[in-house]
Amino acid sequence: MSGAASAIFLLDMKGRVLIWRDYRGDVSSVQAERAFAKLMDGENDPASHDPILLENGVTYLFIQHNNVYVMTASRQNCNAASLLLFLHRIVDVFKHYFEELEEESLRDNFVVVYELLDEMMDFGYPQYTEAKILSEFIKTDAYRMEVTTRPPMAVTNAVSWRMEGIKYKKNEVFLDVVESVNILVNSNGQLVRSDVVGALKMRTYLSGMPECKLGLNDRVLLEAQGRATKGKAIDLDDIKFHQCVRLTRFENDRTISFIPPDGSFDLMTYRLSTQVKPLIWVEAQVERHSRSRVEFMIKARSQFKERSTASNVEIELPVPSDASTPAVRTSMGTAVYAPEKEALIWKIKSFPGGKEYMMRAKFGLPSIEAEETVVEKRPPIRVKFEIPYFTVSGIQVRYLKIIEKSGYQALPWVRYITTAGEYELRI
Amino acid sequence: MEKVWRGRWRGGRSERVKAFALIAKVSKSLRARSRAPSLCRHGLLKLTSPPRTCPLPAAALTAFVSSLNIYRFRSCFPAPFNSSSLRTPPALTMNADNRKGELVDLKSQLRQLAGSRQPGVEDIKRELYKKVISYMTIGIDVSSLFSEMVMCSATSDLVLKKMCYLYVGNYARGHPELALLTINFLQKDCHDDDPMIRGLALRSLCSLRVKNLVEYLVGPLRSGLKDGNGYVRTVAAMGVLKLYHIAPSQCTDNEFPAMLRALLLNDPDAQVVANCLCALQEIYAAEVNISPETALRDREHLLSKPVIYSLLNRIKDFTEWAQCLVLDMVSKYIPSDSDESFDMMNILEDRLQHTNSAVVLATIKVFLHLTISMADVHQQVYERIKAPLLTLVNSGSAEQTYAVLSHLHLLVLRAPALFSNDYKHFYCRYSDPTYVKKLKLEMLTAVANESNTYEIVTELSEYAANVDVAIARESIRAVGKIALQQYDVNAIVDRLLQFLEMEKDYVTAETLVLVKDLLRKYPQWSHDCIAVVGSVSSKAVTEPKAKAALIWMLGEYAYDMPDAPYILEGFVQNWTEENSAEVRLELLTAITKIFFKRPPESIKMLGAALSAGLADAHQDVHDRALLYYRLLQQGVEVAERVVNPAKQAVSVFADTQSSEIKDRIFDEFNSLSVVYQQPSYMFLDKEVRGPIELVEDTGLLPMGPTTTDDVLPSQLVDANDNDLLLGPSDKEDSIVAASNGSHAYNGPDLSGFDSLSAPQRSQSAAFPTPTPQVATTPAATSTSLLDFDDLLGLNTYDVSTPAPSSLKLKAKPSLDPQAFQRKWGQLAVASTVDHTLANVAALSTPQPLIRHMQANLVEVMASGGKAPTFKFFFYAQAADSPPTSGFFLVELIVNTSTASSQVKIKADDASLAPHFQELFLATLGSFGF
Repeated sequence: MSGAASAIFLLDMKGRVLIWRDYRGDVSSVQAERAFAKLMDGENDPASHDPILLENGVTYLFIQHNNVYVMTASRQNCNAASLLLFLHRIVDVFKHYFEELEEESLRDNFVVVYELLDEMMDFGYPQYTEAKILSEFIKTDAYRMEVTTRPPMAVTNAVSWRMEGIKYKKNEVFLDVVESVNILVNSNGQLVRSDVVGALKMRTYLSGMPECKLGLNDRVLLEAQGRATKGKAIDLDDIKFHQCVRLTRFENDRTISFIPPDGSFDLMTYRLSTQVKPLIWVEAQVERHSRSRVEFMIKARSQFKERSTASNVEIELPVPSDASTPAVRTSMGTAVYAPEKEALIWKIKSFPGGKEYMMRAKFGLPSIEAEETVVEKRPPIRVKFEIPYFTVSGIQVRYLKIIEKSGYQALPWVRYITTAGEYELRI
Repeated sequence: MEKVWRGRWRGGRSERVKAFALIAKVSKSLRARSRAPSLCRHGLLKLTSPPRTCPLPAAALTAFVSSLNIYRFRSCFPAPFNSSSLRTPPALTMNADNRKGELVDLKSQLRQLAGSRQPGVEDIKRELYKKVISYMTIGIDVSSLFSEMVMCSATSDLVLKKMCYLYVGNYARGHPELALLTINFLQKDCHDDDPMIRGLALRSLCSLRVKNLVEYLVGPLRSGLKDGNGYVRTVAAMGVLKLYHIAPSQCTDNEFPAMLRALLLNDPDAQVVANCLCALQEIYAAEVNISPETALRDREHLLSKPVIYSLLNRIKDFTEWAQCLVLDMVSKYIPSDSDESFDMMNILEDRLQHTNSAVVLATIKVFLHLTISMADVHQQVYERIKAPLLTLVNSGSAEQTYAVLSHLHLLVLRAPALFSNDYKHFYCRYSDPTYVKKLKLEMLTAVANESNTYEIVTELSEYAANVDVAIARESIRAVGKIALQQYDVNAIVDRLLQFLEMEKDYVTAETLVLVKDLLRKYPQWSHDCIAVVGSVSSKAVTEPKAKAALIWMLGEYAYDMPDAPYILEGFVQNWTEENSAEVRLELLTAITKIFFKRPPESIKMLGAALSAGLADAHQDVHDRALLYYRLLQQGVEVAERVVNPAKQAVSVFADTQSSEIKDRIFDEFNSLSVVYQQPSYMFLDKEVRGPIELVEDTGLLPMGPTTTDDVLPSQLVDANDNDLLLGPSDKEDSIVAASNGSHAYNGPDLSGFDSLSAPQRSQSAAFPTPTPQVATTPAATSTSLLDFDDLLGLNTYDVSTPAPSSLKLKAKPSLDPQAFQRKWGQLAVASTVDHTLANVAALSTPQPLIRHMQANLVEVMASGGKAPTFKFFFYAQAADSPPTSGFFLVELIVNTSTASSQVKIKADDASLAPHFQELFLATLGSFGF
């Protein structure tokens, strides 16, 4: 059987319970604190501990968010993936209510926290976790509280993610196509792995119950429709949709049709595992002069078309932890030494395609060596960037139709952007 | 007042200043009415505003505050002075008298408000309630306000009601007499016009957990289940389960399960259906221990085609969590034919595209279970689920990755070829947390095959050099594991040897252990390895395992390493400083072996080592030294034959986990079992799963004497040493290992030495009282036998074959609970016996009897009950029967107070039933002696 949770705990950074909600009465907060204390004793950093721990027959699952741990406990063989995800959902809901989830906001809003925990889980089984739905029966606004509340339609509605009767003066939809590029290059300059994770992020401000239809340059669809597939079509590896998308329609004729939730959500995510040429290539030469100084020579090259421009490029170059007296020259942008990160951060506001920039940096090293040789971690060079109006996959939104029975005209806004995800080059 | 609320809820700092000012007004007006002390409350309120608005220096402030301790407490939100005042709630720092006074104050204020109908009174109440709840939250006992809180609860304000419900729910269990006070207003609220209030009241009513109030629950629950509003019905469905946990019989007697079953099929609200499903599943699982026949039938009904299909057809209506639940149940359903399987898979196909990883995993479970008997389709399923799984691994939170990777690991063990081309997805990212990296390393080890080994090992070598120590160690171990599972280890050996050249202590240590294992499997590499190992400075090796490995290699390859005796000599000289018995044991063996090979150089050292060993305080070291000494007295050749015989290369290192356990974990796919890599019975609390779940015991319980002969050694290996991976099934290997000493340090492992253990074994077998009679002979002989065997370190149960009759039972029958249920439902009762048992009077838990039966090859499927009545389901299997037949199923009800038992036997082969009955009763009769 898929087991039920016993309780939900919210703990502070020292592992003390701030607020907890008991569901089944078989795990107490004292037990939970004790188990957590053990974990904090064992390792200095609970973040490196497995998110699941077993103590006296009780399983504890926890996640960290800001300065709060969200933890659940169970005495049964529960569904690990589901409960961990549920904890993240709790965080999302709290964020929706308090703007940010942290110790302070929990203390300030404990009554709402109790109300929310009550509705999100009953007797250890998850119930409603959509912030939008919850906010229909747990109001935070005192004034509106006076109005009689009824359990929202949505609870009993087939469209559980959207309320009826939403009204906007101006009907608009914003669709952001965001692709993040993950790259790993080894120290010999070989591309070890690369993939692209894309998401269609939507923000809807639409009245009523609008019916939306989205057309993409999806190869399977275009071929099915017998259209020419001249280079423009793309293959997406694994597509996942928000629950509002009618998956059967997609399976049948690749149409993406849905009634969107109100506000922002991820309509669809996909993955592309084809080899991607690194958009920004970084080469590093490191010269160590015994124990006196170390010199870096960094070349960064943009490997995309000239008409695109990367913005907010940040190249994080790891330097020895005991380095000092930096002397840096760059051919573009500025470089700042960040000792707390043990890195030199080179920022380039705007990096057009097909360009190459250089940076030279010199650091002094202490001549005395530490008695115990510290293990060198040798982190990789990490790169952050954004390239607007560009996608690696070449995905395109061909149309976004919005039909509502009142017949209003809605404005769709579409934007493309490519960002660096886990972009690592080893040295 | 609105502003106060807004500021509060949002937690904005600037708003709070105003908020406090307003509270001042409220408390002022309160004070006017109550006779509260009138000290400088205004001073306090100034203080509670943020420091930047306060002109006083900090030190003066704190001094002032401490003098006003009591008033700090007055404001329900601690002042944002500094973080420490936030962390230690002021209420905890003040003394008990103040607290008491404060509670009295609150009490009188609440009492005054109770009957008031003035406008604005609700707001004041809210403020007071919040105060009470905040005390409750920080752990102050405010139960003394119970009656006042209840008095004030007559309100239409929803938030007030919720706070009151929360308060009541928190204290009712501890104060059942007070809880009675709440029944009235809760019951009234259950008939409120507002469905929200109806639902909330019903939920609170069901959550009181007070046994003697159960009677008040039944009525509201019944109407709740019939309520027109879905929200109330969801609460009611869960309420039935809560009722069941307080008073099972009340729940079943009132036909609640039947009502839930009706809702399950017909309710328009998906969440109601989902909650019915949770409730029914839990109730039936618990009922198995009380009235097994009906519960099993009910469970079967739950898994019947109409129910499953009605759920499947509306799967999209359910919330993601409910979908997991439904899918989990569907995975237990056994379709009648393959067409049905395909239909179900078609319905569920799109669930693989869900963003919730738990839904995807649940769907995968259904698919795998549906196709388990269709090999080719099963393979296709693996292909189909690959892409969604890889996406889940690479996106989402680290915790999700962790959960998914655990499951992937299980799948890869079953279908190793599946991800062999996608190994790059398991390369570690620098920012991955350690727990994800560890799992990724396991994945890389599992997917390695001839085609990708080079790349994977290259990547692993990067980690060994790069990242943190824990991961570096794991990486090296991973390289070693890959080497042991490959045929072509050419490149890997080079890598391993390069590790030794890195001259990092922890790298060297891990590598030495691996090289040792590698040499045991591939002796042909000894030349290359020894050249490098010989150059390792023995001073740099400090970890016991690594030291032991190095010493073993020195002893084993003494011919190839000219200075081996001299290195060992160094170790002997430091004998007293060597803390690890493991190392000292290894040293004894190595020196003895080197003596056979290069006597002139080592004879002195051998003498020193043996005398040091004989004087050693550690039992094992002492014993081994003595053994070697006496063997050597018998002559060098005799000793060499025992200590250093010709070795065979280890062909396969045994797996630490039996395939049976792996199958069980697979059965429990998408649960904690996968994460822990243990079947649930190994980590769940006995008491908990007793009443709630069907107990699924097997002979593998880690509780000592229950284990059968086959299992015991493998567990020893498990417990002691993971990297040696020596399997007991490989008799030859284990002897080799024991005699070359690399394994024997595990403990008093005398049985490894053939020459010694053989006579002992035969002695016990030839013992005048043959063990079968243990079952029937009275206490005296059997206990003496027990003592004797204990002396020898043997297990009495090892040799006990309990069958004096012609029937023999299989040593490790395996029957899963589903199959048991099926069989129990299908078979007719072969015999029913009422039996008197004099020896069960002392039975207070079912465990001893279970252990006894297991020792006699009768396995337990489920057990339960409380003294004086226990109930057991046993099963056994006739020896020499095929794996799926020849089973005997037994239901045993024991009453310890009347010393009677009732036995019901069912058998696959009815003709064997009388024999089995005889055997079973004999076994039962021997219990307790």
